[in-house]
Amino acid sequence: MKISEEAVFRWVLIVGAAAVSIIALTLLTRPLVGAIWGLALVIAASVHAYRWLRDLRAKDAAKD
Amino acid sequence: MESATVALGHDHAEEHHGPPEANQSSRIDKQVLGIFLFIVSEIMLFGAFFASYFFLRVVVDPASWPPDPYELPVSIAGINTAILVSSSFTIHYALESIRRGNKQGLKLGLVLTWMLGATFLFIQINEYVHLGFSARDLAFGSIFYGLTGLHGAHVFVGLMLLSFASIRAFRGHFGPKAEDHLGVEVPGIYWHFVDVMWIIVYVTVYIL
Repeated sequence: MKISEEAVFRWVLIVGAAAVSIIALTLLTRPLVGAIWGLALVIAASVHAYRWLRDLRAKDAAKD
Repeated sequence: MESATVALGHDHAEEHHGPPEANQSSRIDKQVLGIFLFIVSEIMLFGAFFASYFFLRVVVDPASWPPDPYELPVSIAGINTAILVSSSFTIHYALESIRRGNKQGLKLGLVLTWMLGATFLFIQINEYVHLGFSARDLAFGSIFYGLTGLHGAHVFVGLMLLSFASIRAFRGHFGPKAEDHLGVEVPGIYWHFVDVMWIIVYVTVYIL
């Protein structure tokens, strides 16, 4: 696993894009809709992070 | 035979003098691991403030948010957000430059990042002066100043780190190899964290 500034910068871009979508949805509809969309994005990101970590650990175990 | 064993044991004791060396992960530098662990603790700190915010907003459920007659300067804070987000690009440019051996690009990127961060902080202080409410005004005022002030303190710390990195850059301390520019990489990771946190604070406090 290579953790560096480059990897963190990618996360800045992802969070920024997610924020833009939440702001757009909130301004076009209601704050509640934006909040629900934000919560959905957080859940999706958590599931993605869990799967990524699981795969990473599986790869590391295969190497060892 | 016995004397040979004793001699071998003696040599062995001389070779391993002192405590064993600390384990070092081959996957991550200890400095980078340190800043990540620090950031995890910071996420927990911000999490406590966000929990208070959502408690006041959702569980207490006041009639209006922000409470009348208070208003938040959404557009000015939006411009401030753009300033801080652009500073992530400049610190990334600084690091990309030093990875390619471009020391002028490193200096330019660091100075630009510092100036953008200072501008953000200046605008935020100016916003505090003109808001028309203080941390003493209702729980809303307390949590607003608590969250944005906590973030502002982090920007201030980030500016200090960038100042040290800039001084070292102008003295020629950094090089293209990964281990030769950790002094920029670690503040860079911290700066990105501060940036991501502001995006979340802005969306939560000013937009939703």
